[in-house]
Amino acid sequence: MQPFTLNYARPAVQLDVTTPYAYDSGLQLNVLPDGRIAATDHATLRALGTTTSTAGSKTHFDD
Amino acid sequence: MTVLILTSEEDVTADMVVLRLGEAGVPVVRLDPADLTNGVALSGEYVQGACRGHLSVGGRLVSMNGLRSIWVRRPGQAAARAAQPSAWLTEESDQALYGMLRSTDARWMNHPDAARRARHKPWQLRLAQRAGLAVPATLITTFPQAAREFAERFPDLVVKPVSGAHPQEPPRAVPTSRVAPDADFSAVAFGPTLLQRRVPKRADVRLTVVGERLLAARKPVDPGAHPDDVDVRFAPSVSPWLPAQVPPRVAEAVHRYMKCAELAYGAFDFAEDADGIWWFLECNQSGQFGFVEMDTGQPIAAAIAGWLAGDGDAVPSAGGDGDQAG
Repeated sequence: MQPFTLNYARPAVQLDVTTPYAYDSGLQLNVLPDGRIAATDHATLRALGTTTSTAGSKTHFDD
Repeated sequence: MTVLILTSEEDVTADMVVLRLGEAGVPVVRLDPADLTNGVALSGEYVQGACRGHLSVGGRLVSMNGLRSIWVRRPGQAAARAAQPSAWLTEESDQALYGMLRSTDARWMNHPDAARRARHKPWQLRLAQRAGLAVPATLITTFPQAAREFAERFPDLVVKPVSGAHPQEPPRAVPTSRVAPDADFSAVAFGPTLLQRRVPKRADVRLTVVGERLLAARKPVDPGAHPDDVDVRFAPSVSPWLPAQVPPRVAEAVHRYMKCAELAYGAFDFAEDADGIWWFLECNQSGQFGFVEMDTGQPIAAAIAGWLAGDGDAVPSAGGDGDQAG
């Protein structure tokens, strides 16, 4: 009774990565522990994949 | 005049735009509707023919009449983090917030009505056809026999979710996948199935549209890539995204699509074949862009900030001076 499309499903990669930045409500930006703005640290963003087209898929359709 | 950004706190991609707006000196209020009644507050009155409203978050207070634009980026469900969340409270909060925001003259990226409609992939396919984009032969069906006949006409097929959503119980991903020639289509009867002719591609293209601006990026397919690696999101990556020129006819068609869809922002996915034809796959009305900007250096965040800070029409018009990256 499984829909045809789900024959092609694979286990989702569970991202257990803890983001190293925290939201600063004063700046309205995420900030790294050393005070730098997370969005300017491309190396960290690449490593976390938080800006990629699969980020947010759990709660949003549009990637 | 203030730009209102509706998104989650952890949305670091939105940060890229907040930064640009800050550099331009444009006031910004960022909030997540999920925090309504628990960090976010609202009030609006409709008295003597006038309408006034306010939003408050993190010590900031903004008049709804002072909103220049509203960016619906990655908002949580209204009141999801309230002290005592409930479906009823979510509906109440959603109606209050978005109802008041709809009462303003602010420009939307994207308007909720347009966004909701634009999420429907079957509608996207038809609009893309009408706009003049090349669309791979596609079937959406619950008839197994229709699927079998389609597979006879188009023997090399892929399957993908109609909605683009991934099942959560348990969490699974459903990439666009190649269908084996001897596939048993009986299970098509148990759920709408989207089958599409596979485009033998030499590159994936992500075209980000911000108002009238077109910013295209291209990722060449590894010559040694397995034909079954159809979905660029899940395939091994050997090349970064690179800036690309938009073919003029595609640019015109995309502008028509955006105008008909009443979208201010859209992230188009194309498959480029060996003849250089861009085959439309989908348009994500809230597609991610950070990864493209980081690879290509294209100023997508700045373009979004510019649109949000600008005073132009809320809906793009076709045939404008598209800014094609190259």
